Amino acid sequence: MRTRDVLGYSFSAIKLRKLRAGLTTLGVVIGIAAIVALLSITQGLQDTITMQLETGLATDTLIVSPGAGAFGGGQDGGGFGGGALGGADSGFRLLINDTQTINGLSTDILTSTALIQRSGYINSTENERVTTIVGVDFSEYKNIYSTTFISESGEIPDTPDNNMIIIGKRVNERQNGTVLFTAGEDVQILWTNATARPPQNESYTAHVAAVLQEVGGFAFGGPSDNNIYIPITTAQEFFNTSECETIIVKLANSDQATIDAVSKLITNEFAGEVSTISSTAVLNLLGSVFSIIELFLVGIAAISLLVAGIGIMNIMIVSLIERTREIGILKALGMKSRTVLGIFLGESVIIGVIGAVIGIALGWVLANIVATVLSSGAISIGTGGGAGPGGDLLSITPVLTPMVFLGAFGFGVGVSVIFGLYPAWRASKLKPVEALRYE
Amino acid sequence: MALIVEAVDLKKTYMLGKIPVEALRGVNLKIESGDFLAILGPSGSGKSTMLNLIGALDKPTAGTLLIDGVDVSTLNDNQLSDLRRRVGFVFQFFNLIPRLTARDNVELSLSIADIGKAERKKRAEELLETVGLKDRIKHKPAELSGGQQQRVAIARALANNPRFLLLDEPTGNIDSKTAREIMRLVKRLNTEKGVTIIMVTHDQQLAKEAKRTVQMFDGVITSDVVN
Repeated sequence: MRTRDVLGYSFSAIKLRKLRAGLTTLGVVIGIAAIVALLSITQGLQDTITMQLETGLATDTLIVSPGAGAFGGGQDGGGFGGGALGGADSGFRLLINDTQTINGLSTDILTSTALIQRSGYINSTENERVTTIVGVDFSEYKNIYSTTFISESGEIPDTPDNNMIIIGKRVNERQNGTVLFTAGEDVQILWTNATARPPQNESYTAHVAAVLQEVGGFAFGGPSDNNIYIPITTAQEFFNTSECETIIVKLANSDQATIDAVSKLITNEFAGEVSTISSTAVLNLLGSVFSIIELFLVGIAAISLLVAGIGIMNIMIVSLIERTREIGILKALGMKSRTVLGIFLGESVIIGVIGAVIGIALGWVLANIVATVLSSGAISIGTGGGAGPGGDLLSITPVLTPMVFLGAFGFGVGVSVIFGLYPAWRASKLKPVEALRYE
Repeated sequence: MALIVEAVDLKKTYMLGKIPVEALRGVNLKIESGDFLAILGPSGSGKSTMLNLIGALDKPTAGTLLIDGVDVSTLNDNQLSDLRRRVGFVFQFFNLIPRLTARDNVELSLSIADIGKAERKKRAEELLETVGLKDRIKHKPAELSGGQQQRVAIARALANNPRFLLLDEPTGNIDSKTAREIMRLVKRLNTEKGVTIIMVTHDQQLAKEAKRTVQMFDGVITSDVVN
């Protein structure tokens, strides 16, 4: 019997039991829709976060901070280790002039620059904001983050006066668009020295040299919309320290091999008292975290598909029993056993294909609805971090990759085939004489 | 005349639960092409078993059964299917597929034999015309009378130009007037189209319509006469 005729016959049998077939199909639809929706949202979320991260990160940089244990440091991954917290115990301090040591380690290191970070306030006569004060060498920082450390108004000086500051976009602007400070304005910088006995409030009058363009994304060593920047020399004096929190290292290239080699050099140089983080490693770590989340979600969705598969098997066995006599007739007319198998399997496959197609479409629609709800701000997820103003709204665009599309389709049809196989096999094995006698 | 069925010491035992039932206990029978044979006997005489074996729906327990010169007991599942396609079976309860129209029921037989759509349609309509159902081709079995359903079944049985037509109590489920019409059709197929007919019945009157009557009792042939 021709394949087309076999499928046609299967279809005529399904049409006869529309409600039953419809409900069975619904099971597949729900399973596939869940898989597609979850995967495309997760993929969209991952893309959004990765993109935000990439905006704030330069792939040819390494971030060195005190403390053993790495945050996904070298190529062997590693988790969120002790990091900065663990470092305090050993008494190790990363110094500003350690940059000189680092610069001399390898020709792959183009330059390095130190960052001092404190929480503090920026005040004008009308406005006050909590912010993170970052002491940095303006010209080096500009050199490393040439695409993000750019002024929107004013100018970033290469050799700044001691009292010059640069303000991140969101420090300068409320979310409703109110501008708080302008380039050229004088402001007060405040900081509380909590380690002094008694705690000491320090302040000085600064001059806003520039306001940064919006960076977007996560600040991760790189410029952030939520920080203000002051010259490192001023920071040293103001915070009364020669230590730094972070050293940013600019590499000659962003090869994994270079990143690993330099990471190792730096870690060894400081006898394991520092950890290095490469943005690539962060992205990789993020990717693997998302893989686990995806696997978990798909696992849950797959259970619903499994239930759908059992539904198919159930319905096909019922159908087989109801149609025993019909099978006898078909065999008496000379239909081969494998054609009978084909007809019954065809019915499951048709249910699977229809279920998968509708499921994919429904899943896609669901993913978009969820994404719209998330993006519209009904649920807001802060991405700003730190002491900045309210976080960004996470805008997710669901992504349906061909892999997910084909995978979901294949999975749906595969489940139907697997669970349809047994009933079909039983149908094909019926003996014509006995089947014809069946009432 | 070519020999199309030859049974030699044919035996069939099947299990009814745990009790073996000897349905055929050594049957010898020869049927030639163009014959019209009635197998007559009370229920339990083994006539239906005989029909199932000739129709390749079942295999004999012992003895040989040659259909078209081929020993049925040597055939595998696939080969049996092929053989069944060359046999036209007409059942007492019609056994049409309820969801298919008269034409689709006839076409089903043709599509099993790998015939293409266009030819199927043409041939099915011709066959339904032959059995006098030209105006009923789009009716489903439930919309047809018993006699009409049996005509569809005959058309379906004839679809693949079978070597012979096997009729199992063909009029057992229809009224006597319609039964006569069906018998007229069967006789016409035999005399005009030369179709070999093997009919099982317990009806003496009906058996007289055949050219030859084989009487069975208790699993053996007790008489074989030409009418």
